[in-house]
Amino acid sequence: MSADTAVPVRTPVRPAGYRVVRIGKRGRFLVHRRAGLVAAALTVVLAAVCVAYLCVGESFVAPAEAVRVVLGQPSPDELVVGTLRLPRMVVGLLVGTAFGIAGALIQTVARNPLASPDIIGISQGASALTVGAMTFGLTSYTVLPYLSVVGGVAAAALVYAFAWRGGLHATRFVLIGIGFAIALRSVTTLFLTKGDYLVAQQAQIWMTGSLNGRGWEEAAPIGWALLVLLPAVLWAARAQRTVSMDDDTATALGVRLGRVRLGLVALGVVLASVATGTAGPVDFVALLAPQIARRMTRTAQIPLLCSALLGAVIVVFADLLARRLFSPTELPVGVLTAAVGAPYLIWLIIRGHGGRAGGNA
Amino acid sequence: MAAAAPRLSRRALATAAAVVALLLSVLLSLAVGARSIAPSAVLDALLHGGHSDAAEVIRQMRVPRTVIGLMVGAALALAGTVLQGITRNPIADPGILGISQGASVAVVLAIAYAGIHTLTGYVWFAFGGAAVASVAVYAIASRGRGGATPVKLALGGAAINALLVSVTMAVLTTKASALDEFRFWQVGSIAGREAQVAQQIWPFLLIGTVLVVSVARGLDALALGEDVAKGLGQNVAAVRIVGGIGATVLTGAGVAAAGPIAFVGLAVPHIARALVGSDHRWVLPMAALVGPAMLLVSDVVGRVLFPPGEVPAGVMTALIGVPFLVTLVRRKAVPA
Repeated sequence: MSADTAVPVRTPVRPAGYRVVRIGKRGRFLVHRRAGLVAAALTVVLAAVCVAYLCVGESFVAPAEAVRVVLGQPSPDELVVGTLRLPRMVVGLLVGTAFGIAGALIQTVARNPLASPDIIGISQGASALTVGAMTFGLTSYTVLPYLSVVGGVAAAALVYAFAWRGGLHATRFVLIGIGFAIALRSVTTLFLTKGDYLVAQQAQIWMTGSLNGRGWEEAAPIGWALLVLLPAVLWAARAQRTVSMDDDTATALGVRLGRVRLGLVALGVVLASVATGTAGPVDFVALLAPQIARRMTRTAQIPLLCSALLGAVIVVFADLLARRLFSPTELPVGVLTAAVGAPYLIWLIIRGHGGRAGGNA
Repeated sequence: MAAAAPRLSRRALATAAAVVALLLSVLLSLAVGARSIAPSAVLDALLHGGHSDAAEVIRQMRVPRTVIGLMVGAALALAGTVLQGITRNPIADPGILGISQGASVAVVLAIAYAGIHTLTGYVWFAFGGAAVASVAVYAIASRGRGGATPVKLALGGAAINALLVSVTMAVLTTKASALDEFRFWQVGSIAGREAQVAQQIWPFLLIGTVLVVSVARGLDALALGEDVAKGLGQNVAAVRIVGGIGATVLTGAGVAAAGPIAFVGLAVPHIARALVGSDHRWVLPMAALVGPAMLLVSDVVGRVLFPPGEVPAGVMTALIGVPFLVTLVRRKAVPA
């Protein structure tokens, strides 16, 4: 090394295992080789799960027919696949993607694998406002999703405001977040005991997270939200690397840590809130997906794209199980997301890959 | 020593204040409720007996409730302190690590499939569930490279927790009758518990406390990092296992008696540390004082908030505890 550094050759500095990908003249991205492979594999898995989702149900549809319907060609299975299963699957895809990214961003900033939107108060804020509105007689399904977005963002803003003291300390942020989460859950419980039994039951189902009855009307808002936020997500993928350094190094390199962290958290909060508004607080996706993704790619920081893909795989597969496992009874998807993701994470921990990184992990 | 002296007196002062607060909260818990009883009458009933209505209310209902509140509060607070020490994660607590959830699953299965419908029957299931869950967490975390590192313990706990939640939810959504019974246990309350429950759990509480106190020095060393702890001559694995068993026994006892009461296990250790520093020989007793005080005050407030109904202590602890937590966490830099 010592001899090389003296030679003034303009070789691009890049960490081991990374490759520079150029898009156009100025766009350059550092891409982790293994992460790229994992992302490709996950895309294939996701496609397979999606086809299975469209085929399996009350009546079985051949995969070829299902693909024909998706491509817009006329088919006798248009009603079952195109009208019933496809919209719901798309909602699941979008919700899973949003939760996957949100979890990755929040875990990066909090530097704690246990931090996720459903632990630091965002889901609970959404639940509290939504259930509160339900108990006071507001049951219109066109208004409730927006209320839960407002609730999630408001809760996160409160947590941020209380955790901010001349800077954002990761531990303080997470602790205050959990405190608010538990308090907001208590408020929700209070609302539940005040409301009548029917409302309580309805609210309970919403709070478990369900894709039942979701269609294009629900898919459109979250789809637009993801599209609008795409540039921000690209920025986040780059900013993530600077935030995962320790504070002193980052500051010395001229990174405005406070702003970058605020940006990442805000993006994560908005994504998680929108997803919660669409399907209710689907637990554990945002916790599990980033951790599984990081262990698969063996990178130091959480890979955003893989995390998003994994979130989608988990939600769609869990909903497939939720529809079929106890048929004709249908379970809420939130019941099964953990059953899909947790065993795999446990297996990864036992096998010991990635367990060596103690810092950001 | 000149520097140490004021700190010692500050710690002693804080401990004395916590003792006074605990005594006051016990008195409140005995005196306040649907029927308010004057403190002098409370003491009279406790010391001299008697058969007035007030004396009967105190002896039959409020004393068992207060005793259980004391036991559960102390048990959960101690368990939380030890778990945060072992995993070196400031947000670890019996709830997040899946131990409370293990107890919940066992109770759900007992209601749904074993036909157990009494609180004294639940206790053993809750206990067994907590034990199985924490053994599973430790087994997962200690496999693979590097042994049971803090990160693997925390993640393994979170994964087990997630898995158990889904089992609970699956049983509850398919068996409506179990849901009806379970939701009353699940809220977390110290109301309507019989004196028998206290008799069932106190030996476990004692064993757990002894185990936990015995690793106090080890936890101090562990806080400096695993390598430093080893260098100081601590057997890190033994500290983790003994502390873990102690925390499991305490959580099992606490959850069995009162249901999963969130927050006490998470917040009380932080409050205790903010008051007396990071020495576990001070933090553990402090947690054992603050935990019950917080639980009893929450229970009392829950009794008077919406008469004639009661708000369960499990709901009130968070509402009352959060302002404390936020203030203390903001006041001091949290040791990461």
